[in-house]
Amino acid sequence: MSVVILLAAHVLAVLLMPILMVGLVNRTKSWWGGRRGPKLSQSYWDLVRLLRKQPVFSSVTTPLFRAGAWVVLASSLLAAQIAPMFGALAPLQFSHDFIVFAYVLGLARIFLMLSAMDVGSSFEGMGTAREASFTAFIEPALFLLVGTAALGTAQTSFAGAIGQFQGSAAYPWLVVPAGVVLFVLLQAEAARVPVDDPLTHLELTMIHEVMVLDHSGPELAAMQYAAAVKMTMYAGLIAALLNPVDTMADPVLGVAMSVLLMAAVAVAVGCVESLVARLRMRLVPRYLMLATGLAAVSLGVAGWIAGGGA
Amino acid sequence: MNALLAAQALLLAGAAACLLPMRNGWRAAVGLASQALAMVLVLAVALPVVFGGAPLEGALAWAYPVGTLKVRLDALGAFFLAWSLPMTLLGSVYAVGYLRRYFGSERHVGVHYALLNMTALSFVLVYTGDHALVFLLGWEIAALAAWLLVIWDYPNQKVRFAGFNYLVSTHIGLIFLVAAFMILYTHSGSWELESFGRWLHDNPGAERNLIFLLLLTSFGLKSAFFPFHSWLPRAHAAAPAHVSALMSGVIHKAGLYALVRFILLIGRPDEWMGWFLIGFSLLSAVIGALYTAGQRDLKRLLGYSSTENVGIAGIGLGVGCLGLAWGNPALTAVGFAGGLLHVLNHAFFKCQLFYAGGSVYQATHTVDMEKLGGLARLMPWTALAFVLGGVAMSALPPLNGFTSEFLIYSGLFNGQAIAAWAKVALAGTAAGLAFVGAVSALSITRAFGVVFLGAPRDTSVEKPQEVSRWMLAPTLLHAVGLVALGVAPALGLALVEGSASLALAGLPAGGAVDVHQPLRELSATLSRIGGISAALALGIAALWWLRSRLGGPQSSQHVTWGCGYTAPNTRMQYTGSSFSWDFSQRFRGVMVLLRRQHAPQGFFPKDAYLISDCVDAVERRLFSVINHGDESATDLSRRLKEDDPRLAFAAALAAIVLIAGLVVLSAGPLR
Repeated sequence: MSVVILLAAHVLAVLLMPILMVGLVNRTKSWWGGRRGPKLSQSYWDLVRLLRKQPVFSSVTTPLFRAGAWVVLASSLLAAQIAPMFGALAPLQFSHDFIVFAYVLGLARIFLMLSAMDVGSSFEGMGTAREASFTAFIEPALFLLVGTAALGTAQTSFAGAIGQFQGSAAYPWLVVPAGVVLFVLLQAEAARVPVDDPLTHLELTMIHEVMVLDHSGPELAAMQYAAAVKMTMYAGLIAALLNPVDTMADPVLGVAMSVLLMAAVAVAVGCVESLVARLRMRLVPRYLMLATGLAAVSLGVAGWIAGGGA
Repeated sequence: MNALLAAQALLLAGAAACLLPMRNGWRAAVGLASQALAMVLVLAVALPVVFGGAPLEGALAWAYPVGTLKVRLDALGAFFLAWSLPMTLLGSVYAVGYLRRYFGSERHVGVHYALLNMTALSFVLVYTGDHALVFLLGWEIAALAAWLLVIWDYPNQKVRFAGFNYLVSTHIGLIFLVAAFMILYTHSGSWELESFGRWLHDNPGAERNLIFLLLLTSFGLKSAFFPFHSWLPRAHAAAPAHVSALMSGVIHKAGLYALVRFILLIGRPDEWMGWFLIGFSLLSAVIGALYTAGQRDLKRLLGYSSTENVGIAGIGLGVGCLGLAWGNPALTAVGFAGGLLHVLNHAFFKCQLFYAGGSVYQATHTVDMEKLGGLARLMPWTALAFVLGGVAMSALPPLNGFTSEFLIYSGLFNGQAIAAWAKVALAGTAAGLAFVGAVSALSITRAFGVVFLGAPRDTSVEKPQEVSRWMLAPTLLHAVGLVALGVAPALGLALVEGSASLALAGLPAGGAVDVHQPLRELSATLSRIGGISAALALGIAALWWLRSRLGGPQSSQHVTWGCGYTAPNTRMQYTGSSFSWDFSQRFRGVMVLLRRQHAPQGFFPKDAYLISDCVDAVERRLFSVINHGDESATDLSRRLKEDDPRLAFAAALAAIVLIAGLVVLSAGPLR
């Protein structure tokens, strides 16, 4: 029974939380700025508005551009079914599913980048180049992190490794680094400060925003929703890592706790965004490599502990 | 056995007939027909072996120094034959379209088809020969045929140089191979690979390690592992597209075949061999991927991606090697199955990419990315083939590249009871592989984005048209393979299962444990992956359909947002160099980035240019060392007095002492 509740909650959370997360981030930012800020559900109305709008396509685009946004959306939704949110459980769970997770997100990314290249604008090319090279620096972090968790738990599925990490001997040592790595992954994948600034108005300094510069109407809605889904699932990963409640024993409390933790992550993202400036482009790879390095060190520590070192 | 011999005879006869004085079209037809017939003959006996039939054995009596020629077609050889021959045939079909404009000319196209036939013949020899000399003969035929195929455009000096470079490299590899074979022959007293295997199996130690390294060097040169890849970018850029495709996808897979063959012959390799193979392969994968990011020549880029992909396959084989060393069936199965499946998948997408690249060259007469752009609207089928191949090359679902990388990853993140440090090392390798995946996504976005998307960059480039059906058909057939192997990876696994079973058979049977159990589990896992891939593809299609059905307001068209600039032109699009410059800059240690510029000066600047390129570090170093060595030799000889006989006597004496010393040293252990 609790499995059914948890799975239903997962699917619902994947669909609804993105709107709430974006609302919370924006609310936090306006709170820091001394404004009242938009409603928490504002991004839902933004999406509805975009869906009703007439799209404008650049005259040099190919069908790939029109398909791109939907590939991104479908892939992100599929990936979100693999990432655990409420403890050691996900709707799609099998051994080595985290590889599917990473590569389905890879598919989303490559179509996002190809759609951007399709309009033949130098700014979008620049954004694409940045996205492509920054990804290369952060991509190993996820695998190192899952390797760390898998070492501690002897689990080979994403949900198993992350959700059961709490029970392992390495958890007290590695919970902070793992949380930090996931937080940086969130910032990189969901295009948040200090990696990228979603509010910047200068195309030269954008990454994700410049790639969707020529998207409009429903396609833009799909892209924006997909980005919010990505943020939600990384927040969900952090929640699964930290959630002290055993979700299988007490699903309702577990889900509530996880949702609270995800909301806390959104507030944290908002706080970082209000207090810190975006890094200079040159420094972004270093920031990302720091996370990858931290994940590598965590892996080493996990190996040391599993080998009987501590 | 008879079918194999008949196929060989047919290929030879076809090659000879191609040279007859008749119209070029007829020559091509004869070549294609003989190759197709030979392929059918071979596949008729090879496919049953692939799917679990008994291996085919036979012997031919031969004259004295050679002895009996043993022929043996087991699951491994049959697997390689099962796709090598059809792909060679497809390449030959593509050649009809690619060389069409020579058909009416004086040029003798028959030679080209004869060489393609010889290439097919070399596969039959290498993959079925159980005799070292037959193996070497096939190896050498493949090398020479590939060389002659590469220099099709021989009036061009650059092409001749690339061919010569390849010829020298491949023969350096041959020297290592012959050295290893000679050591093995002195020990086993027989030319049969089987008896080589018996000796290798029973005599672990320094000499076996030496043989392993010699063989790895030779096979590494054949398959273009880093740092033995320096011949590759030039050769791939110079050769006709179908030759590049066949070399990269098919011919040089013989190196990996031989590697697997010798690992199987060793039976129970040492642990260090597995780790060494993993490290060596990871290095190839990483460096190959980094180089793909910097290239501006489309075919060079694809060439470097071969280095990357043999590295990825090599990681799988290394995991299998570790499994054999540890006596772990699950690891053995996943390693060999993953590695070999990646070989097959790579052949599919790499040939397709080269064919698409060749179509671009045929249509525009250039493969310089910076001159192209916007081809997708003019050559939609070629663009589709390239993007599908690119997605597969970046190992993304739902296409085939993902399935084999999934297996290799799952070998690296195995849940087996192995030492913690080994798990850490393997997870680290997986992180390296993740980096490689991200970099190849960068390269393919860059290549496809710059060449096919946006608007044409250079007005001097001919306005292209879609290429002929002769070229499109093989390309799209490969694309069908990509999709089929992507959504039904169990199909691909069925092809490699026999070979993985060969490796598993070498494991000590641990009581009641069924060593083939892991293979069945893999099949279940892969079916699931295929299901997810299919679901993803369907989901995308459904969303798109929904979008076009419930589309709401009609879309309108407008020019790309120029960010406020009112007079953008197509030259201002992002170029390939600018796309990768920042990224490549961070790897200056391993990449050589050249930049020549002449900035505009004065009030009325005339000529200004900026040229940037990424050249091969190994090749540069190689040439500088050779140059340097040449100079020091010249210096030395200048310093010596020419007519001093004492020097000559002293040198001769030193040589005699050296040889005598070697003889004395070697006399002991050999006896």
